[in-house]
Amino acid sequence: MDMLKNPAHRAWLVLMIATVITWYLGEVGAAGTTAIVAMLLIAFVKGRLVILDFMELREAPRMWRILLEGWLILVSSLILLAYWISLK
Amino acid sequence: MSNTTSLPTSEAPAARRLPGDLAIWVFILSEMLVFAVFFAAYAFARAKNVELFNEYQQTVNRDLGALNTFLLITGSWFVVRAVQAAHRDDLPAVPRNILLGFLCGGGFVVVKIIEYAAKFGAGITLSTNTFYMFYISLTFFHFMHVILGMVILAVIWVQARKGAYTSRDAHGLESGAAYWHMVDLLWIILFPLVYVMR
Amino acid sequence: MQYKSQAVAKPYFIAAIGLFVGQILFGLILGLQYVLGDFLFPAIPFNVARMVHTNLLIVWLLFGFMGGAYYMIPEESETELFSPKLALAMFWIFLVAGALTIVGYLAVPYATLAELTGNSLLETMGREFLEQPLPTKLGIVVVALAFLFNITLTVLKGKKTSISIVLLLGLWGLAVFFLFSFYNPVNVVLDKFFWWWTVHLWVEGVWELILGSFLAFVLIKTTGVDREVIEKWLYVIVTLTLITGIIGTGHHYFWIGTPEYWQWWGSIFSALEPIPFFAMTVFAFNMVNRRRREHPNKAAVLWALGTGVMSFLGAGVWGFLHTLAPVNYYTHGTQITAAHGHMAFYGAYAMVNLMMISYAMPILRGRAANSNKSQVLEMWSFWLMTVAIVFITLFLTAAGILQVWLQRVSDAPLPFMVAQDKIALFYWMREWAGVAFLVGLIVYIASFFVGGEEKQA
Repeated sequence: MDMLKNPAHRAWLVLMIATVITWYLGEVGAAGTTAIVAMLLIAFVKGRLVILDFMELREAPRMWRILLEGWLILVSSLILLAYWISLK
Repeated sequence: MSNTTSLPTSEAPAARRLPGDLAIWVFILSEMLVFAVFFAAYAFARAKNVELFNEYQQTVNRDLGALNTFLLITGSWFVVRAVQAAHRDDLPAVPRNILLGFLCGGGFVVVKIIEYAAKFGAGITLSTNTFYMFYISLTFFHFMHVILGMVILAVIWVQARKGAYTSRDAHGLESGAAYWHMVDLLWIILFPLVYVMR
Repeated sequence: MQYKSQAVAKPYFIAAIGLFVGQILFGLILGLQYVLGDFLFPAIPFNVARMVHTNLLIVWLLFGFMGGAYYMIPEESETELFSPKLALAMFWIFLVAGALTIVGYLAVPYATLAELTGNSLLETMGREFLEQPLPTKLGIVVVALAFLFNITLTVLKGKKTSISIVLLLGLWGLAVFFLFSFYNPVNVVLDKFFWWWTVHLWVEGVWELILGSFLAFVLIKTTGVDREVIEKWLYVIVTLTLITGIIGTGHHYFWIGTPEYWQWWGSIFSALEPIPFFAMTVFAFNMVNRRRREHPNKAAVLWALGTGVMSFLGAGVWGFLHTLAPVNYYTHGTQITAAHGHMAFYGAYAMVNLMMISYAMPILRGRAANSNKSQVLEMWSFWLMTVAIVFITLFLTAAGILQVWLQRVSDAPLPFMVAQDKIALFYWMREWAGVAFLVGLIVYIASFFVGGEEKQA
């Protein structure tokens, strides 16, 4: 397990597993509030891994982390809001 | 490249460093803003046509979408390895990993073309319905970004083969890599949104 | 002046300023006709005044672009212009053709002009901004080709910098997209498509490249910041411009019989058109803040910063105001459009030309910068014209909002002319702001004739 000391390798593994989960949720036809929140959460975690470990912004000036992660929060919230409206 | 291109970060100059060029990050942020607007437009247009979106979402090929997610994530991973190789001066590994990343991009393009061929073959166009308008617009706009990303990878591959990127200066490589990761990041939102979430 | 042939820019700049004065005078006539409908009728009817106002604008901007290119290209390419004689010949041809066209507009009714100039051979006349008779349109093509030939060969024989490549891309685009003005399909929707491919792809596409390239050139010269840094910004601005500008054409396809997806594409991409302008503003301020030297020409730097801010406000923000399809449903073709048009053209293209003239003219007259006295006067004119255009824009915006309300939104919509009467107060205020603009322009011209201690070239 020496390989997993490298954050990029860890990120890759998590991203692959997360993708399988999202795909599986689609296969079983998951729908509704729980499914939507779960999928958005997965997408959020995945996006954050890409930003921090692939784009290597973990050690970047704070402003850039805030900008990129802020984008992720903004997009997820907008999608959540729109789906919440659609469920009403 | 001179250090004049990075932002003034007076507090901790060594530790806090933005990989790549300021200009590419401005570009990446602008691109991400475009997609943010597009994603929000999809979500809110869906809120107004829930049944239609739910019905037609079933007709897109989720398996190919997931396969493409694998390809982009793996492509990104190879490019990270290229950057890490440059930082530890493992010069032969740099172009090799960039090439592997590029091939993953190529795989994405092939899969996408298969997907499009099926849809366009079935007579689907931008005017079919609102869901398909968004499906084609979003995925095609993203597709163009994959192609641009591959062009950038090709350029840095040529440079890397000449040994241009080392632990002393990997600015160009980092800039290209950042753009490629953005393509990945966008797909990570796009895939659940358009293919799965309902 | 580093290269002798740069001197051909001078007549172009002088002609540009002269035509600019004409444009403003006709603007004032036109503004008055909004409130006093019979003013100067039948000598100069409203439609003619409007046509002269907009056509002079385009022609003086083109003179400015050509002058700017003739000045900039030898210096960037580090070689003399391919043919200064050709450049001078084209200047006179363009000036005479332009003058004849304006005389034609004023001397005979438009329909007669169309008949006299062979519009029946190839019907191209009658569309806003592209009203020029066929011979003038052909003349523009000839002048543009000769100009491009001259500039391109200069670049080819000398150094090829990113700034000159971007300029060439912009100028070639300008010429190529003008060709759409020769095609005038009978189908009204198709006609609009081709019309916008000239008009929109000019001002929201290739002209922005010219703007970016001029701005980059003057910033390199006045701030001494590394060319490498400036070029990187230029690449980013160019790409953003092309992505948002080309697809943003869709905002002209709303509600005219085009497929519905244009409402999405047009809205989304044109909503992002402010981004390249914003990048230009950040770029200009960033470079000036990081300047490595104090250039004696303070006025040129002021114009450079001004064009960044004003193009972002005028083209970016005021464009965004009415670019979303549901908003445009109500505001299409109202005074909101006029407000946007005034600030965008001034902020982006008038100001970038004035910046280039401000930077190049003193050098063409044998000094690095004008005397302090002259520069103070020029800065006064900057503020007078800029503040005046801000007020023109605000008054027209107010007029537009009222117009939309009275004529389109309210439960009992008023007819067009009745609504116009109700907003006359704003037209009067706009006219006074226009007078202030003219004063600013007079001060600007006066600044050329003020002496005093000059700085050595």
